[in-house]
Amino acid sequence: MADFIKHPEVPLPDLDPAPSFSEEELVFTEEERAQIAEYVRRYPTADGAVMRALWLAQEKFGFLPPEVIRLVAETLGIPYAQAYGVATFYTQYYKQKKGRYVLDVCTSFSCQLCGGYDMLHYLEEQLGIQKGETTEDGLFTLQEVECLGACGSAPMLQVTNGPYVFNLTPEKLDALLEDLRAGKMPAFTSVTLPQDEDEMGGNRRSDAPQSAVYETPPVARTLE
Amino acid sequence: MEATNGAPQTKAGDWRSYERVLLPPVRDLHKIDVYEQHGGYEALREALTSDRWDPKSVTDEVKASGLRGRGGAGFPTGLKWSFMPPVDPDVPRFLCCNGDESEPGTFKDRQLMEYNPHLVFEGMLLACYAISAKAGYLYVRGEYADWISHMERELENAYAKGYVGENIMGSGFSCELIIHKGAGAYICGEESSLMESLEGKRAYPRIKPPFPAQRGIWGYPTTINNVETLACVPLILRRGGAWYAKIGAQRHPGPVLYGISGHVNRPGVYEYPTGMLISDLIYEVAGGMRGGKKLKAVVPGGSSTPILRADMIDGVTMDAETLRDAGSMMGTGGMLVMDEDTDIVSWLRRVTHFYHHESCGQCTPCREGAGWLENIVTRIDEGEGRLRDLDLLIDLCSQMEGRTVCALADAAAWPVRYTVTRFRDEFEARCRPSLVAAG
Repeated sequence: MADFIKHPEVPLPDLDPAPSFSEEELVFTEEERAQIAEYVRRYPTADGAVMRALWLAQEKFGFLPPEVIRLVAETLGIPYAQAYGVATFYTQYYKQKKGRYVLDVCTSFSCQLCGGYDMLHYLEEQLGIQKGETTEDGLFTLQEVECLGACGSAPMLQVTNGPYVFNLTPEKLDALLEDLRAGKMPAFTSVTLPQDEDEMGGNRRSDAPQSAVYETPPVARTLE
Repeated sequence: MEATNGAPQTKAGDWRSYERVLLPPVRDLHKIDVYEQHGGYEALREALTSDRWDPKSVTDEVKASGLRGRGGAGFPTGLKWSFMPPVDPDVPRFLCCNGDESEPGTFKDRQLMEYNPHLVFEGMLLACYAISAKAGYLYVRGEYADWISHMERELENAYAKGYVGENIMGSGFSCELIIHKGAGAYICGEESSLMESLEGKRAYPRIKPPFPAQRGIWGYPTTINNVETLACVPLILRRGGAWYAKIGAQRHPGPVLYGISGHVNRPGVYEYPTGMLISDLIYEVAGGMRGGKKLKAVVPGGSSTPILRADMIDGVTMDAETLRDAGSMMGTGGMLVMDEDTDIVSWLRRVTHFYHHESCGQCTPCREGAGWLENIVTRIDEGEGRLRDLDLLIDLCSQMEGRTVCALADAAAWPVRYTVTRFRDEFEARCRPSLVAAG
């Protein structure tokens, strides 16, 4: 047999990993089951609700190891293989345990040209880790991600699939890390349209926790 | 190209006095009562309760407006609606609103969803009425979690007021709207993979035909439109197709949310008519080049649209026909502006990385090709490239374009093909010096 078949370059994933959650932990509460049932009602078949149910499971368990995916599949009454296939297709579902805060720094397209990598490298220095790694205290995971759809506010990042932080600077990142260490998530930021600045004197929303404007992007020092 | 007496001509008319309609300057327009005070849901009421309108006349009005899809392909919206088969009471029909917005450089729909969500809902309801669908799914990318909860709140308000749900405004027409949350996959912006994703599967695109109008979600007739496209529909019904057809470029009319990013002083989302001169958008609208630098290149409509050198934008306006003649595409209207200091090779390397990462892996030319594009551009970027690599890249692009189930392979190949041909000297200069002469 050819060597490359016996020794594949890509290591196979552990097909039977030790479970991260015990049988007792692996249950949905009545409320969660009701919520999932509500998701199912939105689609002609239960399959459609799998993405919402996986989101719910990830919020509860923090990540999606095989036993959690199996729980979701059993709750929905769909094949485990299908739920596993969905969970492994989308990047926002975490298959491994992450830090308490996941910092997704955009370095794609516009952000690359406007300092995305400068911010990523600054965070690598500050946290003492490389992209893709988690700090030893389990607090931060740093990731490089593809376009998050906030190109006019480059450079930017997203915290744990939640709030966006726009127009990053090293000072802003220092403040963000300090807040997160104190358990404070950044508030939702409404970005004022330039035409709103001119025609309405600022943000059009009176109910946004905070607002920002589009700023001239910084000069990128590195593009990789 | 369109020069008259030496001065480039805009097709956007007197755009400096343009009054916004998608995002009009109204405080708190996202709140349902404010939206109602400004004519909100009136078009829906008219369409559902007045004798003047039936599904066909709504479709005809949209056809008359000349509205073309804002998601990238620019397909005529009314025509797409008319592809739906005749109504069969036993066969459900669906509408999908594509809010997956993940083409790099595109960030317009998010602002529409935040600042004018009811316009999107009203557009979806009107489209559902026109195609006789009983349910509309709004597919939003998972990264927009905060905007999804914002819209879910507003959708509840619309339900509470009886604009969505059973027997809307006593008309007998019932329609559910459902917001679907994605989970991070560029491919879901492609309509058939969006449908797969909605059905709770891995988002592998489907072979077409059958087209969504024949076999869409769960195998039923489905129409898919972009968020911004559907947001235009209530405006067309309120003010008439003829009014809409007069805005901007004749063959590609209407308001557009231009998302301008990159090396400009004032990036952001701007609403102006189609047919704006690219030079007006950069120098007048977006405040000019950052630091007074010279313009090097523009990507007019998201990462997959071919790049234009600074010398190629003279007189070029933002509409499908003019951009096609200029050698690019309108795409999503998400424009990336690059200044003279931009390292185009490193930039292309990152673009190829994006497509390699986002290829769903279903078709070999795309899965393997996107990886090879990245490998070869990386080799050139690191100074290890050979001159013949440039022709190899073009050849690879030819092997990918049009050879896969969906257009992602094309979208991956075009930036490479056009960046390498239009900036060939910079790629040659980066190849290993000893090998340049030898070829």
